[in-house]
Amino acid sequence: MKRIQITLLALIFCSILAAQEDYTQSLDGIEWVKVESKADIIVRTHGEKQLRIKAKASSKKPEKAKGLKLLGAGGSDNTDVGFYVVKEGNNLIVRNLRKWNNGNAEIYLPANQNISVTTNGTGQSDIRIYGFKGEIEANARLNGGIKIEDVSGPVTANSLNGGIDISFVEINQDSPITVYSTNGALDIKLPGDTPANLSLGSVNGEIYTNFEIKFPEKNGLKSVSTQKIRQTINGGGVKLQLKTTNGNIYLRKE
Amino acid sequence: MEKNHVIELLPEYLDGLLNKTQKTTVEAHLKDCNSCSHELSELKKLFKVFKEEKETTPSGNLKTNFFEQIELEKQNNSKVVSLDNVSVQGKNNWTNNLLKIAASVVLLVGVYFFGKQQQEQISGKEIAHLADETQAFKQTAMLSLMGNKSASKRIQGVNFIEEFSDPDEAIVSALADRMLNDENTNVRRTAVEVLSEFTASETVKNSFIKALKTEKDPGIQITIIQVLGKIQEKKAAASMQYLLEQDDTQPYVKEELESVLPNII
Repeated sequence: MKRIQITLLALIFCSILAAQEDYTQSLDGIEWVKVESKADIIVRTHGEKQLRIKAKASSKKPEKAKGLKLLGAGGSDNTDVGFYVVKEGNNLIVRNLRKWNNGNAEIYLPANQNISVTTNGTGQSDIRIYGFKGEIEANARLNGGIKIEDVSGPVTANSLNGGIDISFVEINQDSPITVYSTNGALDIKLPGDTPANLSLGSVNGEIYTNFEIKFPEKNGLKSVSTQKIRQTINGGGVKLQLKTTNGNIYLRKE
Repeated sequence: MEKNHVIELLPEYLDGLLNKTQKTTVEAHLKDCNSCSHELSELKKLFKVFKEEKETTPSGNLKTNFFEQIELEKQNNSKVVSLDNVSVQGKNNWTNNLLKIAASVVLLVGVYFFGKQQQEQISGKEIAHLADETQAFKQTAMLSLMGNKSASKRIQGVNFIEEFSDPDEAIVSALADRMLNDENTNVRRTAVEVLSEFTASETVKNSFIKALKTEKDPGIQITIIQVLGKIQEKKAAASMQYLLEQDDTQPYVKEELESVLPNII
């Protein structure tokens, strides 16, 4: 019996220790959280009203760096988890200082937080965002792709070379959704009953959809020609603009 | 009773509106009844006068005299007895009344058209004024949206241009500013798409040419090159040449430039 109690205590102690390694920051007076990274980044929601950056075993400093601080392009590590975090007015800047993928840096925020996530890595630097109800801006400036799931918008997403996958649980009708890419493909999933004004365009790519888009000369609803398409679905609603230069566009009904 | 009945039918009889039985009854009665045949001749005279009367057009001072006329009419009306008793009261009053009523009708119609015309002029001015106010309101809304912190809202502001049939210089300049300076790629690209509808404007053309040198996003570069190529803007040639010579210009952008440039020069 005593042994079990000791084990339990030890376990609790360990978990507290582990929890203490996470970095947390209050979000009082913060309108936007702006995340910048040169490596892969994952942003998730949680029930707490604060920012939490999970400490990962792989994010620990090497033995030789003991007593030293990690320096990055945008500042020095003031979080002990490899991030530089600073308030700028009502923005909270969260900068990932590592240039390599340290077992996926994970950031947790309340679901209604407005977030802006930018990656600028020459290597793979993907953005993954799950479950937000606030506004989302995602920019993969170089080689990363973007994956956004279970969100309601508005979303403003842009990539240079990576693809963009977004699945919406519903569409916020307040302000427009734009998903643009130069070389990546767009794969967008919407609930079938979403009212929207669609504006789709691809310079060199193709556009595919199973929404009923009426075209006088095209039969079937598989390929709906290139260039510009303007259509309303379900009676029309908020503007939904999908544009690529060289990639394909896939617009799916859920 | 019988007399009255026939008198009431006389105007219709003269107009030929009665059916055969009524007509024969009236004609039979007229032979027997002096007063009725007299009435008939009086009516004929009256109808003749009506026909000879020229249509009058109401003048502007009709409106000002309107209330005086009404007062006059009221006084006369109180002295006058209703049409049913005309035969008892005498023929002169009867015809006078009819003429007065006709005059009132003409007066009313005249005042109506005069008033209507005045009202149309006023409401025309009001509509123009309201349209001005709506335009100003839309412009304020658009500019304020374009200054918003959220990229989605700024895009909403940029798209607001669709609400203007003929946007003025201030709006076009604000859009050009978004295209050249917004930190968000999607806002800049949406501004390019929207401005490509207004290539007749020198401000727009010059901003496109400027953007060729400043814009780093290849997707936007290609859109601008295509728009300038379509309108064969000669002034753009130097900027296109510059972009073509840059090392960091993407190969597919260079391809686009090489296909467009020969058509411009």
